[in-house]
Amino acid sequence: MVEKYRHLYVVIEHEDGKFLPVSLEMIGEARRLLDGFNSKYSSNEKVVAVILGHNIQDLSKQLIEYGADAVVYADNPELKDVRNTIYTKVIGQIAQDTKSLGEIEPEYANDVKRPRYMFFAADSIGRHLSSTTLVELESGLASDINKLVIEDIEMSHQQKTGGKKETYAKTLEMYRPDFSGFLWTTILCLDNRNPAFQRDYHPQSCSIIPGVFEPLKPDSSREGKIIEFTPTIDKQDLKVRILNRQILKSEVDFDTPRTIISFGRGIKNDPESNIKLIENLAKELNAEIGVTLPMSKKPYSISHALDSKYMIPDRVIGTSGHKTSAMLYIATGVSGAMQHVWGMKDSGFVVAINPDEEAPIKDECDIFIKGRMEDVIPLLIEEIKKQIHIVEVQ
Amino acid sequence: MSHLNIAVIIKLEPDFSEGNVSYNPDGTLNRAETKNTLGPHSAIAAHAAFFGRVMYDAKVSIATMGPPIADLALQQAQQISDAEELHLYSDRLFAGADTLGTAEVLRVGIEKMQEKMDIVFSGHRASDGETGQTGPQTAWKLGFTFLGNVISYNVDVETRMVRAKRLISLQGLPNIIEEVEAPLPVFISIDPTYKSSYNTVSQRLAFQKYKKEAIQLSDNFKDYLKIFNAKELGVDETLVGLPGSPTIVYKVERVPKSTATRQAEVIDGSDPEQISKVVKKMKEALSAMVIK
Repeated sequence: MVEKYRHLYVVIEHEDGKFLPVSLEMIGEARRLLDGFNSKYSSNEKVVAVILGHNIQDLSKQLIEYGADAVVYADNPELKDVRNTIYTKVIGQIAQDTKSLGEIEPEYANDVKRPRYMFFAADSIGRHLSSTTLVELESGLASDINKLVIEDIEMSHQQKTGGKKETYAKTLEMYRPDFSGFLWTTILCLDNRNPAFQRDYHPQSCSIIPGVFEPLKPDSSREGKIIEFTPTIDKQDLKVRILNRQILKSEVDFDTPRTIISFGRGIKNDPESNIKLIENLAKELNAEIGVTLPMSKKPYSISHALDSKYMIPDRVIGTSGHKTSAMLYIATGVSGAMQHVWGMKDSGFVVAINPDEEAPIKDECDIFIKGRMEDVIPLLIEEIKKQIHIVEVQ
Repeated sequence: MSHLNIAVIIKLEPDFSEGNVSYNPDGTLNRAETKNTLGPHSAIAAHAAFFGRVMYDAKVSIATMGPPIADLALQQAQQISDAEELHLYSDRLFAGADTLGTAEVLRVGIEKMQEKMDIVFSGHRASDGETGQTGPQTAWKLGFTFLGNVISYNVDVETRMVRAKRLISLQGLPNIIEEVEAPLPVFISIDPTYKSSYNTVSQRLAFQKYKKEAIQLSDNFKDYLKIFNAKELGVDETLVGLPGSPTIVYKVERVPKSTATRQAEVIDGSDPEQISKVVKKMKEALSAMVIK
């Protein structure tokens, strides 16, 4: 069978001459997936990093060290800043450029038309860029993925196969945690083989949550092909002008404090006074306050001041927010959904306050204080006043 | 002619607010018991459209794809934005669509509106689906310049230029506010932190006037509502619903309980003596800090 789709393309993000960590994490995961793929299918498909920008030759070389087999780069002054329209067009051009696709692996050069798979970062840039690029390429996209598996899938599907049993070989299973953090949904991007509306949907694409996958250690002995792509730049696609960029200092700091106290839905019995209690505890420990993802979605209208201070995305600890390695992490009223655990598991000492001993957080803490926060926190504060006096550290 | 036409795409979503939301014992959403409402991000997009109504006397239209009960979301969004035109795209053929199949319906619908749009707004993401893809995908299909994560905007109606501030957050970097300029038409997806501000007396008077009007209109929202099925909309049926959706949900499973990373010592929270021991351990954990 002629295979028109080959290789795994990873769209790289960088700022000020440095990779965003997620770029190298994606390359690392791509490498692991394709190593398994090539040995399973006795094939020779490649991890291809795609990078756009200006003066990026040096960055391109480093991508090989981090695990890419090939790099396709577009270097142009118009690509210096990320602008959705022109970036979408150029990435679309690269994904359909049979010349560079052929150069990547000559063995497949005659038939290859597009990448088989494509990865983007699930961040302010990649989320939108993946969306528009996949309209340009008329294929499917899953967002916010944290696990990937490649399998041959046998299925009959009313729409996709017209009810007939079919095997979809080399299918990317894209796992995404849902908003609750308790469910995992597997998304597949499949060609329509139903004769009524046959259509190919490739590349199979996803955006990947930053911080989930491990990057590889750079290896300067790795070799790979570096291919320059000269984009066609249409003036029509350069309408957006960037006037200025201003760096915002966040009011919430999860990097320097030694202690973080986070709260979740467990505040619900009396949100306002529970948050006050948590504030008092934080004051005693000079701690920063974090929240779980559902808290940032304004499920409770507490008071305008508390809502806008705490129920905000900036305070979320977890895959859709921050990752912390605090020395002391206190989780109160937090059930321990996977996506939250990811953000706190690297902490030093973890204390959980929860009335429910079955809550998953129990497996992620060193001390599980069984009880309601209304009862436990006042006792804790009293005891901390006796034992701990924090001196402001600069 | 310097009039401004604004459309908003919105979504009816589960109401996650306390008292309306219901969870299954395993922590997942109980959809049958949970009420529906205009999605919170959709509401913010409607506020952004209303800003255009107040500041530029824009005409606002709203579109949604969903079941017949999604007219509730249109009414709520009308009350926020003072919209004169409400579109509901409702057909069993649209059901089960992923973001690409949804964006196609919205694209056709927006192009079918009375006026040619200058700005289309969408929310940041839906609070149930959470992909955040439908906005940018609709933008690309419309051929509009896409501006994401917008926290404020203004329009020069004479030169037909929009200026917007965008909030960009990237892993490991401080947040960035980027100010951009682009000619109309544009598609704007609104950041959750978007706020409209009305600074002058005349702006605030206009705000009051249109607010009042919005409430009147939404009391009779059915007069402004048009419902389209696939045929009336004139969509290509292979590009919408399941046939137009590259992706499928293959399986949904509970996230397996990860192997315990820590062995917790369980403490009775009502026992002050035990709490005292916990604090001692906390103190040890913080011992690298300066503690006296």
